[in-house]
Amino acid sequence: MHLHAGRRMALRLAAAAIATSLAMPALAADGPAAQFIDKVAREVIDLIKVRTGAEREKGIREILERSFDLPYMGRSALGTHWEGTSEPLRERFLKAAISAEAKAYSERFGQYGGQTLTVGKVVAKPNGISTVDSKLSQSSGPPIVILWDVRDAGQGPRIADVKIEGVSMVMTRRSDFNSYIQGRGGKVEDLIIELENRAKR
Amino acid sequence: MLGGCATNDTGAAEVWDPIEVPNRFIFSINRAIDIIAIRPVTVLYKEWTPAGAQRGVHNVLGNLGEPVTAINEVVQGDPGRAVTTLARFLVNSTLGIAGLFDVATPLGLSKTKEGAGNTLGMYAGVEPENGGPYLVLPLAGPSNARDAAGLLADYAVDPFRILTVALNVDSLLYSGPKYAATVLDTRSRTMYALDDLEKNSVDYYAALRSAYTQQRAEVIRKKREKTDSRGELDRRDNLALVR
Repeated sequence: MHLHAGRRMALRLAAAAIATSLAMPALAADGPAAQFIDKVAREVIDLIKVRTGAEREKGIREILERSFDLPYMGRSALGTHWEGTSEPLRERFLKAAISAEAKAYSERFGQYGGQTLTVGKVVAKPNGISTVDSKLSQSSGPPIVILWDVRDAGQGPRIADVKIEGVSMVMTRRSDFNSYIQGRGGKVEDLIIELENRAKR
Repeated sequence: MLGGCATNDTGAAEVWDPIEVPNRFIFSINRAIDIIAIRPVTVLYKEWTPAGAQRGVHNVLGNLGEPVTAINEVVQGDPGRAVTTLARFLVNSTLGIAGLFDVATPLGLSKTKEGAGNTLGMYAGVEPENGGPYLVLPLAGPSNARDAAGLLADYAVDPFRILTVALNVDSLLYSGPKYAATVLDTRSRTMYALDDLEKNSVDYYAALRSAYTQQRAEVIRKKREKTDSRGELDRRDNLALVR
């Protein structure tokens, strides 16, 4: 009986090791993508500690513009409408969408209240995107799982999407934008005008 | 037919929403009630109630849900986990003073939260994003056919509600305060996320629909992955023992 139990446990551990190695094709807790996320998080936290108000927002915006692939995120958010949109409208859309995203992330990061972000494993996908796993501690309740999609399109690593508890910011924005465009007869320009008007407020 | 939002990076990630017009109508009513009553009351609750009391309310609600979680864990094929959940319930109901304090977690009895929506999602042979048609439930918010059926099933098997029927007590005396406390607790915990979503979206209804579907899909996906790996371990154990 004891032998069986011991054997079962040993087999469980061996099988768990095999299953883990199969499930994680590229596991590197301290790879370049993880180091990059760690660096960005530290930059944001250091900035929040020393700056407030408009200065803080400006600083966060600068970090966002050099750490996030905002044009890629904007393109992804427009989804299938990107192909049918003229070049001048694309440029206007990207400018307005980048501005909106930068503002939103500035506000999100501005809510920082001393939590710690622990960066975990990295899974490299065939499409060139590495997903960095992280956990944001909370004063009460379980930690929040945040996944960071990192891609390098030749300018060094950039964040391409953020998934909070399974909710992709880019996918949510795409659904949001798509519904808005469809509700206005497929006119992308209406969305751009709305985003531009919001930026002025 | 696409029954959920796309999981890749192409196309417009859409949720199957065949009754969008009535859904949007209920959504607007829910939102009006939220703006007029629920959100202001929740703000007061968050600002004026001590954090310990808020945690107590959350713990009591969690404790009342443990029997339903245990039932779902049995149906999900995890009786061992159901025993732990029932042990949590017994410990927290007694030592934890009717569930006010979660004394079971420090004793190594970790918390889980299961509902029939998860159970249905686990066994449904479709992508977890596909929960059937998207629904906005009056006074309950975003849902879909799977999760709404799950809510009904959980309500039907809730031993506390059944007890009120058996004792010939008006079940509203139990479900009414429980519903009110759940609304307050859930709304206070989602305040920041919903405010962010509303402020940064051009179509709040569509953004919430997408976020809800993704979040539920993630929960069910993780559940399936966990069950698959547990099943694989058991299969390997059994194979080894046969040899």
